[in-house]
Amino acid sequence: MSALASGSTAMGQATAAGPSYTAPTTVDDVIAAMATGSRVVAGGTDLVVGSRQGRWPVPEHLVAIHRVNSLRGIRPVVDGGLWLGATATHGEIAEDATIRERYTALADASSIVGSRATRNVGTLGGNIANASPAAETSGPLMCFGATCMLESRNGRRELPLDELFSGPGRTVAAMDELLVSVSLPAQPAGTGSCYARLEYRRQMEIAVVGATAVVTLDGGQITAARVAITSLAPTVRRVPEAEAALIGSTGDRAAAERAGEAAAAASLPIDDVRAAADYRRAMAAVITRRVVQAAVDRARGETVSIPASASLHGAL
Amino acid sequence: MTMTTEPRTAPVVRLDGREKVTGVGRYAADMTLTGLLHGRFRFADIGHARIKRIDTTRAKALPGVVAVITEADVPDVQYGLFIKDRRLFAKGVVRWEGEVVAAVAALTPEIAKRAVELIEIDYEPLPVITDIEAALAPGAPLIHENWESYWQDEKLVRSGNEASRSTIVKGDTAAALASADLVVKGRYVAAGSQAAPIEPRAILAEWRSDRVQIWSSTQVPFAARSLVSETLGLPENKIRVTVPHLGGGFGAKCEGHFEPQVAALARAARRPVKVVFSRRDEFLAPDHRREGMIVEVESGVMRDGTIVARRAQVLTENGAYSADEPLITILAAIFSTGPYNVPNVDITGRCAYTNTQPSGSVRAPGAPQAAWALEQHMDEIAKALDMDPVDLRRKNLLRNGDLSPTSQVMSEIRAVETLDKAAELIGWGQPLPDDEGIGIACAWWPSFPMATSAFVKINVDGSPTIITGAQECGTGAVMTLPILAGEILGIDPSEFSLVYQDTESGPWDGGAGGSQTLFNNGRAVADAAMDVRRQLLKLAADELEAAEDDIELADGRARVKGSPDRFVTIAALADKTQGTQLLVGKGSGEVPPTPASDTSACTGRLGAESFAAPTFGTHAVRVKVDRDTGVVRVLKVVAAHDSGYIVNKVGAAGQVTGGVVMGLGQALTEGTQISGEGRVRNAHLLDYKLQTMADVPDISVWFTDTAVSDAGPKGSKGVGEPPCIPTPGAVANAIAAATGARVRELPATPGRIWSALREGQA
Amino acid sequence: MKYSATLRVNGFSYPVTIEPQRTLLSVLRDDLELTGSKEGCDDSECGACMVLLDGEPVNSCSYLALQTLGREITTVEGLSTNGDLSPLQKAFLEAGGVQCGFCTPGMLISATALLARNPRPDDEEIKASLSGNLCRCTGYTPILAAVRSAVEMTAG
Ligand SMILES: Cc1cc2nc3c(=O)[nH]c(=O)nc-3n(C[C@H](O)[C@H](O)[C@H](O)COP(=O)(O)OP(=O)(O)OC[C@H]3O[C@@H](n4cnc5c(N)ncnc54)[C@H](O)[C@@H]3O)c2cc1C
Ligand code: FES
Ligand code: FES
Repeated sequence: MSALASGSTAMGQATAAGPSYTAPTTVDDVIAAMATGSRVVAGGTDLVVGSRQGRWPVPEHLVAIHRVNSLRGIRPVVDGGLWLGATATHGEIAEDATIRERYTALADASSIVGSRATRNVGTLGGNIANASPAAETSGPLMCFGATCMLESRNGRRELPLDELFSGPGRTVAAMDELLVSVSLPAQPAGTGSCYARLEYRRQMEIAVVGATAVVTLDGGQITAARVAITSLAPTVRRVPEAEAALIGSTGDRAAAERAGEAAAAASLPIDDVRAAADYRRAMAAVITRRVVQAAVDRARGETVSIPASASLHGAL
Repeated sequence: MTMTTEPRTAPVVRLDGREKVTGVGRYAADMTLTGLLHGRFRFADIGHARIKRIDTTRAKALPGVVAVITEADVPDVQYGLFIKDRRLFAKGVVRWEGEVVAAVAALTPEIAKRAVELIEIDYEPLPVITDIEAALAPGAPLIHENWESYWQDEKLVRSGNEASRSTIVKGDTAAALASADLVVKGRYVAAGSQAAPIEPRAILAEWRSDRVQIWSSTQVPFAARSLVSETLGLPENKIRVTVPHLGGGFGAKCEGHFEPQVAALARAARRPVKVVFSRRDEFLAPDHRREGMIVEVESGVMRDGTIVARRAQVLTENGAYSADEPLITILAAIFSTGPYNVPNVDITGRCAYTNTQPSGSVRAPGAPQAAWALEQHMDEIAKALDMDPVDLRRKNLLRNGDLSPTSQVMSEIRAVETLDKAAELIGWGQPLPDDEGIGIACAWWPSFPMATSAFVKINVDGSPTIITGAQECGTGAVMTLPILAGEILGIDPSEFSLVYQDTESGPWDGGAGGSQTLFNNGRAVADAAMDVRRQLLKLAADELEAAEDDIELADGRARVKGSPDRFVTIAALADKTQGTQLLVGKGSGEVPPTPASDTSACTGRLGAESFAAPTFGTHAVRVKVDRDTGVVRVLKVVAAHDSGYIVNKVGAAGQVTGGVVMGLGQALTEGTQISGEGRVRNAHLLDYKLQTMADVPDISVWFTDTAVSDAGPKGSKGVGEPPCIPTPGAVANAIAAATGARVRELPATPGRIWSALREGQA
Repeated sequence: MKYSATLRVNGFSYPVTIEPQRTLLSVLRDDLELTGSKEGCDDSECGACMVLLDGEPVNSCSYLALQTLGREITTVEGLSTNGDLSPLQKAFLEAGGVQCGFCTPGMLISATALLARNPRPDDEEIKASLSGNLCRCTGYTPILAAVRSAVEMTAG
């Protein structure tokens, strides 16, 4: 309450039990509210939308984090990596020059989340915390070796992103843990990356199949490779077999195809209203192949425009 | 009606436009009333079941709940257009998940929602049939056990789950097929799709003693009034239906729907009630769905491309209750043979009850899917003959003097012109990249003449008002009616005021359906304007001491032809009439005749014997297909239409682009998916994908723009519905042209295209 | 419990007392009776509810009203000044960009934000920027033409 009562925006005080809302300006106040059972709301594009669809009610006790300055922004860090605040929006990520250049796959991902209105308020933290198997940023973040900082009254802990997700809509974070930030380590010279999803329409899609590739080229050979699949398993996940298929290769079509096959083999696709399982599996191979090739192209300094999902339509 | 091609007035801005761009225009959901309660329906939420018990005790006990009603609280009236199989509230059995079982009125929408959940219903599940063919199979469980007891239109032929059976028979099809050089067969399966206007339905009802005022987002206020009258037993003049601005309809808001239930709820609550549908409700509501369809067709052709015979069976999805689907099935049957000159025709249309959302008339009902099937079939014939698809169509398209399937003689039609223009504008025959293809499809559609009337009055200050029962749903009646009256009265269209969409103000009108508003209401308004014109000329003749014949109306004045200085303003004339006779014109115009036809060999006919002022159109579509994923991008669409004279270019073009894009959605991404239990699996916009602005290609619109006789005002024909007909077929043909694989299911989803490519079929 | 707060909408301050779970759209429509913003869906797909929040488009149906405190909200009602239509509003009328008008408020909001960001967008940018606004009537073509023509009117 304290925060909102500031300035000219007069706020009442909670007198009886019942719904509550607070919008503090410090992390300490946020985690204090979380400790007493308040749920975080950032952009609300998952939380509130889910309630309107009847999937869950809007939580009784809410702590809004859009006013916390220390959770905002995108900043380079000393070792050449990047720090992203939990409330960095998809719009900010998509337009950030460093991300577009060095963490291109993340720009590919954030620039296709919903519409401009969604990207304007939808946050990175919300995308991660919501833990959807279709979440756009998870694959790129995992492949860049992202870590996330969680904080609660019991202190802080840093976790590699691959260890965060435990199932559809589930993470290992405790209910009272705030996702404070995400850190991306520096990527070696010669690294290129790409994220793309299958898109039935040109805009306003949801990932039915998505894939990420981050490759490092050295002397014409792939020396490091990371591949992840989206919407193809209960969580977004890395595919080590696909990565192994790339390392040591020149990143040619044959290698990309092998990576694609590995991705398809690693998929656990479901049959649902969006696609049949066999189609999803086949698309895992196609989309993975394409993102690998685009990542290699980018590593070589060639331009594949952002978002890659649009530019890779019809690519071989 | 005179037919002229005098110069059109400059494009007019819609009379309701300013309200709409400033946000002050009110739609039904925007309205509020003193004492307003919020209503909500309890839907069946099960595909098919016997109701063993309904207990509303807990719902009624919830604080803030004012009324809860079920079938026990309304007269036991069965209604329906051709079969009276519906009730306002389910009685005994529910037959699809969206059937209304009860309604609640409460202080807030939240309380209403909770109360609805507290209504206890015990069901005994019954077998659910969602598949058209399964429903028609011998021995299938009956969806309406007592079907024989229902009132039906005497011309309707039906039995059990078959809600209608009709035929179109001309010539000797069996003999012609036997003697044809080649017989080509095909089977095409279209999923149901949704009208999906962006405005969800909203209805308010307020009783004033024994009269009820209803505000409804309906396309057909007069039909809504009739339904309230029929089901609640009130005379029509005690029911007033007013439509605030209507946020699109596309047929979903045709027929009366929910007005009686909301009126009954308000009566029980003794307070006004408002019901606003959620998007999910929209996806379950009756008659919002374009029917699923199975078309099996075979054609006998000669080597030179002449089609000599066509036999087809068209199965349509009626859903759980019947509205106009039996008639739509008759239309679909006609469209399954296309706008072609086929001397021998034998088509059977069968309409099947299923445990799904009732189908109804959605923009050009029955036509897009039937045309989609037939136009693919045409391309398959061309392929079998090794003939160019445009040449095949040109050879067989209806021409003046040809006979339609019901033996109507064609006259003043320009179908071939639309084909040639579409082919030219799309660049038919040009070399294309490997992954691109061009498809073409033709279609036709009737205009629907019907009676209506209108008034035009000149107020004492000379300002003009049109009073009509017409309904505007975005289609542009607000533009065309003042254009027509303005031309006759020499007054700028923007100066008119319009009283419309209110059953107590204007004369009866068929509503915004069947592309009929300009066609019929325009005629009535023009006739009423002519009536006032005569009155003005008479007054002006006295005033100017000239013969009536020598006077013209222009720029708000009556003036003597050739001497523009001798004039009197219409305002001055109007002023003079005060205290004597007021300037009111009324008109209906003469309903254009229905062309002769011969349906003597046909059975089960309910209408659509012939097509008055038929429109023709050809669409050509260029696509790029991602062969690995099956994803289609539409690059260009050409839409060439013979819609007679075009009264309002901007308005007509907007109907075409809107229809084209609706058709692209139907072709590629829109299809209702239903589970085996009869539950809609994609009852929201994320998974029922309308086209977005980014998906829309360059669309070229071309009109023959020539007046025809026995048509609407100035020789016009209906323009609202036809543009959504040929698009799905043209897209399907373009996909086949690009890939060599043909998808005989609608929509052509990426998964289906991918499967077709894998199977290598063509 | 309910919270008393002040919303800034179209340059005016509105006191409201609302539960924290309330969305901005419901407060605009039901409490302030500014019904220009429409509700067309339940999954934030249609954009009929779009408003500007500090100049950027937001789907008000899924944004909590209390989160807008201290920020400027612009709804379709705030797009014209002193009764003068904005160039976009005029262009929508003249190019046939309005049919039923239900998508129009959201379309205008998206387009207004776009032109503020980039007074000379090309077709691709217009289409991408307005793709969160569904229209069932126009086929978008006249809306694209309207935005183009507003660009000409304003960017000269
Ligand atoms: C129309 C539309 C289209 C969309 N398209 C896409 C898409 O293409 N791809 C995609 O991936 N997503 C998509 N989304 C989902 C959503 O926009 C994103 O996941 C977004 O990043 C969520 O962020 P938010 O700030 O709005 O989260 P919120 O809704 O505010 O929060 C989501 C969840 O995360 C929790 N949370 C938020 N921040 C934190 C934090 N810092 N610490 C701990 N918990 C936190 C909340 O309590 C809540 O449970 C779409 C949504 C809509 C409405
Ligand atoms: S109502 Fe907000 S996006 Fe549809
Ligand atoms: S004008 Fe009707 S939805 Fe756009």
